[in-house]
Amino acid sequence: MEVEVSGIKKAYPHKTVLNNITFSTKAGSCVGILGSNGSGKSTLLSVLAGVHRADSGSFFYRGTDLLRRPGQIPRVLGYVPQTDPLMDELSAWDNLCMWYDKAAIRRELSEGALKVLGIDKFLKLPVRCMSGGMKKRLSIGCAVVSRPGILLLDEPSAALDPVCKENIREYLSVYKKEGGIILMATHDAQDLELCDACYILTNGELQAYQYDGDFHRLANILRME
Amino acid sequence: MKQIFFYFVAQLKRAARILPGQLAVDLSVCVCVGTLGCLLAAQGASQTEGMRYRIGLVGDLSDSYLGFGIAALQEMDDSRLMIELVGMPEEEAKKAFQQGELYAVVRVPEGLVESIVYGENDRPITYTATQGQKGLGTMVMGEITDIASTLVTASQGAIYAMQRVLAQEDRGEEIGRETDKLNLALINLVLSRSGFSDVEILGYADGLSFELFYFSKLLLLFLLLSGLLNSALFVSRSKSLPCFLKARQVGAAWQILCEYLAYFGLVLAGFFALCLPLSAALGRGLIGIPEWEGMGAVPFFSIWPAFLSVAAMFAALQFFLYEAADGIVNGILLQLICGITMGYISGYFYPSAFFPEKMRTLGSLFPSGMASDFVEGRLLGQLRAGAGAAVFVWTVVFLFLAAAVRGIKIRKG
Repeated sequence: MEVEVSGIKKAYPHKTVLNNITFSTKAGSCVGILGSNGSGKSTLLSVLAGVHRADSGSFFYRGTDLLRRPGQIPRVLGYVPQTDPLMDELSAWDNLCMWYDKAAIRRELSEGALKVLGIDKFLKLPVRCMSGGMKKRLSIGCAVVSRPGILLLDEPSAALDPVCKENIREYLSVYKKEGGIILMATHDAQDLELCDACYILTNGELQAYQYDGDFHRLANILRME
Repeated sequence: MKQIFFYFVAQLKRAARILPGQLAVDLSVCVCVGTLGCLLAAQGASQTEGMRYRIGLVGDLSDSYLGFGIAALQEMDDSRLMIELVGMPEEEAKKAFQQGELYAVVRVPEGLVESIVYGENDRPITYTATQGQKGLGTMVMGEITDIASTLVTASQGAIYAMQRVLAQEDRGEEIGRETDKLNLALINLVLSRSGFSDVEILGYADGLSFELFYFSKLLLLFLLLSGLLNSALFVSRSKSLPCFLKARQVGAAWQILCEYLAYFGLVLAGFFALCLPLSAALGRGLIGIPEWEGMGAVPFFSIWPAFLSVAAMFAALQFFLYEAADGIVNGILLQLICGITMGYISGYFYPSAFFPEKMRTLGSLFPSGMASDFVEGRLLGQLRAGAGAAVFVWTVVFLFLAAAVRGIKIRKG
């Protein structure tokens, strides 16, 4: 397995948010993390992204424990938080320049991820003038220019119109086909169609869930949790 | 390091995008405040120039000696520039006093001269002022009246005593001449009282002129409150960006340092935008500062480094306050409250010598107090290393606190 997450634990003084989180996945796959609001999905992704420190556990990618070697994370992992990590005053180009050198950005604009995401169409537009869909695509673009092997997405479809969602899904399909691994926290049924494996996070513990296309059943399960 | 550099460049770009608007705001505020200040100063100066304390004299003014003394004060004494003595009937004086046309009323009691002639000193001159005028001026005036009363009583007593002695010794023909001589001697004594002592005026803050004191304090106040003018940099900040940066191994300390340097650049740009017209005005002699007379703007340029150090500290303070405040509105309010309080306690509005000892000590320990001490040292040509070190330490402390707050925010997600 390319990715092996094992025994991750994260607790705050009055609450254990993540308890013995364990799963694994192979290259070119997508893992969906489901759960009600406040169940700890975002915390799990932020721990894997190196934003928060886990109390214990490991996160192996191609034999390297990224939690023990956080310096490796920017090279191999792209992280897209729930709210867009963009600077309103700057253009799409300037926001991309915040993370990568110009040569890499030009390369991705001509034939890579940025072209697939359609960022070349609003490159000079300041973020404050962008639609929600443009901002989300740009956020994903900011995470993937370095072509990371793992992409962590925290509710990528939230508050987007169907066209934008479809555009983002198209890119994620391409990313998967190229061997990338996606770990996605989501509430969106259509996002789940992209997933090869799903887990429900409840009371800090991860349970495997076989999504069969019946979203109402899933909603009922989450409601009961 | 590459990532940190990229982030720093992005912050500089942000600051550059905001800069034109900020400069326009800075200059508008300065022009408005400057115009208002000039108008108030001009109005105050004209009022002060034309203002003389008008004091009504009532009672028994018939004695020729008393009349002579009043005339001497009005015509020859330095006090005539500040005090106008007007003899008038008591009723009229009372009315004018009630209407605020008189600063005070001096009442010469009936039979004052006779009581002096007979060696009785039981009818003193009285000085009346309203409660609202109870201040330094009233106090000094009261003392002067007291001295004048004693002086008149004693001197006139001496004259009448001399006249009686001359009359007893059958030297009546000398009385007129000797009386004039003694009167002139007494008047000379009173009129030359300014030579009794040397008055040394130290000025403000151990030797700065009024003009230089407020020139430096207004610049410090501008720097202290510049957080209000530069708030645009803190509007619409992405809450997830710090987490995203952390995921890229750009920790809270580096984030704060990059953002602070960009913010400091914005503060400096605003400061220089203010300094350029000030330098031009100094160069053309439009701003009269006694210590820098005839030297143009050169002394001003020489104290810029001191202001830059202070600007760095105030920028760090403002940055910390914006980081600690929850939301931009709270941040602006916090800037305003802290700026005005610190400025007031550290003597940016009034010299701190006016304040009680404890308040002065507190004000001097504040960052604003340290800044003031450091800049005053430079203005006086002294290197106040302690104040300079304190400015540096405060800068580091504020940046450290801002980084700690950022770290907590990242941990909370």
